[in-house]
This record gives sequence, C-alpha cells and structure tokens, in this order.
Amino acid sequence: MAETTLRIERVSLVRRVLDSSTLYRLIALGVFGGLWQLATLNHKSLLIPTFADTVAAIPDLLFGAQSSALWNAMYQSNIALVIGFAISIVLGIPLGLLIGRFHRIERFASLYLNILLVTPMAAIIPLLVMSLGIRDGAVPARVTLIVLFAIVMLIVNSRAGIRQVDPALIEMARCFGAGELSIWRRILIPSSIPAIMTGVRLGLGRAITGMVVIELLLIAVGLGSLIQRFEARFEGAHLYALIIIVVFEALILIQVVRWIERVVAPWRKMPTFGGGR
Amino acid sequence: MATTAAATPARVASPRFSGRLDIWPTVAAFVFLIGGWELLGRALQQEFFPPLSKVLTKLVEVQAEIFAALAISLQNLVIAFAFSLVFGIGLGLLMGAFRKVDAALDVYVNALLTAPSLVFAPVFFAIWGLERWSVIAVIVMYCVWIMVVNTVTAVRTVSIELLEMGESFGAPRLKIWTRIVLPSATPLIMAGVRLAMGRAVKGMLNGEMFIAIVGLGKLVQDGSRAFDASLVLAVLVVIIVIAFICVWLVQLIDNRLTRWLPKTSR
Amino acid sequence: MIEIKGLSKAFPGRRGSEPVQALKDVDLEVRDNEFLTVLGPSGCGKTTLLRVIAGLVGHDTGTVLVEGKPVTGPGPERAMVFQSFALMPWDNVLTNVAFGLEMQGVDKKTREMKALELIEMVGLGGFEKRLPGELSGGMQQRVGLARALAVSPKVLLMDEPFGALDEQTRRLLQEELLRIWEATRTTVVFITHSMEEAVLLGDRVVLMRPRPGRIDQILEVPMARPRSTHLDSVESSGEFTALVGLLWNNLRVMHSDVRRTHPATQAEARP
Repeated sequence: MAETTLRIERVSLVRRVLDSSTLYRLIALGVFGGLWQLATLNHKSLLIPTFADTVAAIPDLLFGAQSSALWNAMYQSNIALVIGFAISIVLGIPLGLLIGRFHRIERFASLYLNILLVTPMAAIIPLLVMSLGIRDGAVPARVTLIVLFAIVMLIVNSRAGIRQVDPALIEMARCFGAGELSIWRRILIPSSIPAIMTGVRLGLGRAITGMVVIELLLIAVGLGSLIQRFEARFEGAHLYALIIIVVFEALILIQVVRWIERVVAPWRKMPTFGGGR
Repeated sequence: MATTAAATPARVASPRFSGRLDIWPTVAAFVFLIGGWELLGRALQQEFFPPLSKVLTKLVEVQAEIFAALAISLQNLVIAFAFSLVFGIGLGLLMGAFRKVDAALDVYVNALLTAPSLVFAPVFFAIWGLERWSVIAVIVMYCVWIMVVNTVTAVRTVSIELLEMGESFGAPRLKIWTRIVLPSATPLIMAGVRLAMGRAVKGMLNGEMFIAIVGLGKLVQDGSRAFDASLVLAVLVVIIVIAFICVWLVQLIDNRLTRWLPKTSR
Repeated sequence: MIEIKGLSKAFPGRRGSEPVQALKDVDLEVRDNEFLTVLGPSGCGKTTLLRVIAGLVGHDTGTVLVEGKPVTGPGPERAMVFQSFALMPWDNVLTNVAFGLEMQGVDKKTREMKALELIEMVGLGGFEKRLPGELSGGMQQRVGLARALAVSPKVLLMDEPFGALDEQTRRLLQEELLRIWEATRTTVVFITHSMEEAVLLGDRVVLMRPRPGRIDQILEVPMARPRSTHLDSVESSGEFTALVGLLWNNLRVMHSDVRRTHPATQAEARP
C-alpha cells in the first residue's frame, strides 16, 4: 500500500518537473549560457567576458570588493528616481483623472499627450543640461527627465481609467442622489484604481528607463558612471554583471508594483494600456 | 443600422458621435503650442529655449547635414526594423504554437521587454565597437520584444470556437494556421508592430546618441557639446515628424490588413 | 402618483442626420400602489420614458409630475433597478445595499441596519460581506433590488431588471419581486420586452410602438392578487394566454412595419 502510494507520488513528481515551466526556463538559460561560454572562450576579448566570469562578478559586485562602489552608485541613481517618480505620481494621476472626466480638456490635451508619447525624450537631455546645469550630480536635470519619461504613462492610464468607468454606475449614483463629489469618491476613483495602478507600473518602467538613459547618454553619475569606469578599465565581467544587476533592479521594482496592484484592486483583472517607452 | 441606432437613443447622444467640431480643439492645441513656443522663447531670452522661428531657421541652415544624417539613421532603422519584424513575429509564432518554447522563453522575453533597453548599449558597444551594428542592435533591443509578446498573445487568444470549427471541417493543422490562426491574430500582431515602430525611432536616436558617430543622434550630441539648443530642437522636430510618419505608415498597412474588423472595435 | 402629459423627447442625430424622436406626445398616469409594466419592441422609447421619470434625462415638451411635483432631476422618492445591476464591484453586498442611504447622509450604523434588513428580505442573508463578483447574476440583481428598496422609495423604477438573467433565475426573481411587492405595495414602473413577464407581473400593461416612440394602448390585467404563491396556475390560465396572444398580435404588426422599411435588417437586428 505504502509503497504504491510512494511510487505514484514519485511518478507525479517527475511528471510535475517535466511539465513545469521552470525546467524549460533553466534549459533555456543553460543553452544561452553555454553558447555564450563557447563563443567567448575561443575569442579572447578584453570587453567581452565569458558567461562564467560574468556570473562570478555578480556576487563580487553585490557583496565583494566592489560592493561599496555599487551601492554608492545605486543610491545616487535611485535618489533621482524616487524624487522624479514621486513628482510624476503626484502630478500625473490627478491630471489624468481630470482630463478623463472633462471632454473639453481631453480634446485640447490629447495632442500634447501624443507628442509626449512619441517624442524621444533623450533628445532634450542637452536642453536640460544647458538650463539646469550638472553641478552636484545634476539632480534637477535628472529628476526633470525622469518626470518627462514617466508622467505620460500615469496621465494616459488614469485618463483611460476614468473613461472606462461603467456609465451605468454613474447613472446609478446620480439616481440615488449622489453629487459630483460623491461620484468621484465612491465611483470614479475606486473604479479607476486598476488602470491607475497599471499606469504606475508602466510609469515606473519608463522612469527607470529615463534614469538609465540620462546617465548613459550625457550625465555620467551613479550607475552610468560606474558603467563607464568599467568600460574604460576593460573590466568586461563587471560591466556585464552591472548591467544584469540594473535589469534585475527594474524587474524587482516592477514586480513589487504588480503585487501592490493585486492587493489594492483584487476585484478585477488589470487592463493594460500603452507600453511604449 | 437605422433600427439599432434607434434602439439605443441614449447612446446616440454620446459625445463620440457629435461630429464635425472634433478637430477644432486639436487645431487650437496646435496653434497654442506653436504660438506659445514662439512667444515664450522670445520672452525668456534663454539660450536653452530658443523661439520656434530660430529653430526653423536653424533647420533650413543645416538641412544638408540633417538630410545626410537622416539618410543614415533611416537606413539603420529600416535594417533593424526588418530584422525585428521577422525575428519578433517568428519567435512569437513559435512561442504561440509550442507550449514548451513558450515555457522556456516567456520570462526572459518579458524581462527584456520590461528592462530599460539602453542599458544593453554598452554590451553591443563592447561587441561591435563604433560600427553601425551597435546602433542596429540597440534599435532591435528597443522594438523586438513588444512584437514577440503581442504575437504570442495574439496566437493564444484565437477563438477556440473557430479552431474547433476548423477541426470539425477536417482542416489539416497547416490550413488551420493559415486560414484561421494567422488572420485572427493579425490585429493584435499589428498593434504590436505599431508600438514597436514608436520604440524603434526612440531606440534609433538613443543608440546613435550613445555611439555618437553617425546619424541624427550624433547631431544632437554635437548640438549639446556646442551649447546649440536650436540645433538640438531642430533635430527633435525632425525626429517627431519621422516618428509620426512611421507610425502612420504602419497604421495604413494595419488598416489594409484588418479591413474585416468592424469599425467600432478598431 | 405619476402624471405624464404631452411628453416628447428627441435625441440629436448622428453626424447631422435627422434627430431621433424617442418619445412623442406620451400621456400616462401611474396610480398609487400600482404595478405598471411597459412593453414594446426595441426603439419604442420605453427605456427613455423610464429615464425621464427617473430624472436622468430631461424632456423637450410636456409635463412629468411625481406626487404632484415636476421632475427636475433624480429624487429620493424614486429608486431604480438596472438591467446591468450597476453594482460597485469594489464594495461588498452590505455597502452596495446601503449606498442610497449613504448618499442621503444617513449615519453608518442606521444605514447598515436597514441594509441588513433588506438583504434578509431578498433572501441574501449571510452574503453581506461578499463582493458582487462572487455572486451569480440572480443574486446580484437581488442586491440591486435591495439597494433600491433600502431608501423606502414611493416609486420603484425597474429597467428590464431581469433581462440579463437566464429563464429559470428570472422566474425565481419574478416570484421574489411579486412576494415583496405584495407585502409593500410600492408603486412600480417595470420595463420589459417579455410579453409573458409584462402580464404576469403587472396590474396594467402599457404597450408602446416605435418611430416615434408612443403609447399604442393600455391593457388591464384581470388576474387576481396575490399571484406570487401560484405563478404557474396564473400562467396556464385562459386569461393569461389570451392577453399574451393579444399583445403579440399587436407587437407583430410593429415588427412587420420594420420589415417593410428595412428589408435587409429585419431578423438579425432583433434581440
């Protein structure tokens, strides 16, 4: 009896491993790493490290000899991200909600939103540098750029959130005597929360992009300057490891917002809008 | 049509259908933008914010340079976008068709879509140095993943009823793909292509600014080094126009490919 | 209770086309404690009529009086039940049912006690902490009904309330509604496109016809009250069959009107 149950369990365990996505993900990673290793072993190049060296450099950066440089750079970069993203939220969400509720404003604003969406913001970095300067780590210029990157997503999604409110709900509220204030508080805002949170998530993605873009393209501070330093010293493994760390930071932050999304709006699946950058 | 319109009189009154006056706010916004830029630029008298007229004068002045840069930039864009179309939609279809491919790759594709694309520029620079392939690789990085993700979703959301209909009429697997899956998936795939186009233009500029040897991106960097805000803004105007034209072209193709869609759901 | 005289309402047409005359010269009196059902094909203006009474849309000409006072907007003496239920998905059943009282400024304790009472009345006792998304369609509409009753309205306005439900659920809710109505005798204006429902529930049936929306005729329903205890025998009675037959004869003509003017769109344009 016990033996058969055990065997069934073992079989189902094997089955589960074979069916699980994790196995295939690991295989894919292995294939990718193996190809990388093979390609780099034969072509020794200063700036192109092997897969193994890169993997080994990650803990070195995080906890080893280079860790103080990394965490310093992280702090410098992320302080602009935090300020810029906070400003984007405080300005972007109310603006989006207003635009969504009042069609007049919407018609007028949509051209600007489109331009903001399409414009490659990187091109205005020189103007920010000229106007705001680069002293003291260029925090004002970096914050402004991050706001310009992120705020569109917050506006556009908050607007979409208001516009997709079920009109029957607004009508219902009016039927029961709700005024504009009550409609905002009890219908429009709760109903828009999923879309607003989507905007927060997409906006965060863009804010991180903005942070990276300005540091790589024009004002080498924080992570950007660390990348340049590794490049200049031909420390390929550290360079690649740092890039992987930055990617992971982005993924972790966005995963956190996803989790918040599920917590604050459990009643419905999230719609998504935009996704451009 | 007439009967359904009458059936829901309340909906007829919705502002979406209120007609001809629609473009006026846009025109007003445009005039306001142009006028505001010009006046503000004149009033501020700041080097970093020249009035529109000065930017346009600059544009005419350096048109030869801009056209030369534009030609190179567009070449990069076309090569990268063509590659991304084939690779992105191809990979998306593979992932849509085979569960195991999807299981193996979906996390990585999503990670690459979410990650700031420019962060990979140093990697490409390390591989190709100052060659144009660095720029092209950046553009691909910017635009390919959204196409993959949209294509997978497009294939996955094909109506099961339609697939069962195909099977019940004895259609072989290949026929089901060409006659049912691909046509149903086209709208969503094209939506991905449209988003990718906008991203590609940004990738082009950012990549060129990073490598700073060729194209419009180099002009921006030149302007930046010379503290020439007019040049920077002139290039920006060109880029915005290019971006709108590119997205519009994709939209045209999209409209042709998905003519069967009812107008309202477009 | 409700007096409507010479009511007309037009909606602006799409892109410069002719305005749609939703209602034209409608005269109607709804008596106190009456269950009035309004029946008609799509486009006959029955929903517009209800929305005018509710004060959700204005009207062009004529007068609409509720308890002798002209309607200028929504009011606490009228409560509505919606076809799409119109429940707030982020609030639980209790908060949803208490919504009308909340809008009237009733304090939390009082309104929740009242709401609990009504949740019990519509048979949802024990579900007050659930979210609407966790309930079936029939249960959701029970919540909608409880919410409307919670404000103790003089008139209950019901806009095809059971139109989105399946046949069996619909029957259960019809029974429930009749049972509650027989106990409270609130005046009800009930829009429907089902002939059987109109006859089963109503004291009188108002038959409307389209293009422009107007009243065709008003029929008295002779079946005795209370009906909730024996709906099946009501439905198999000769009076019921005769009335439904009469209504269908009138409705059929309206549909063939449509067929002559729009040969291409007849069958599939009908839900």
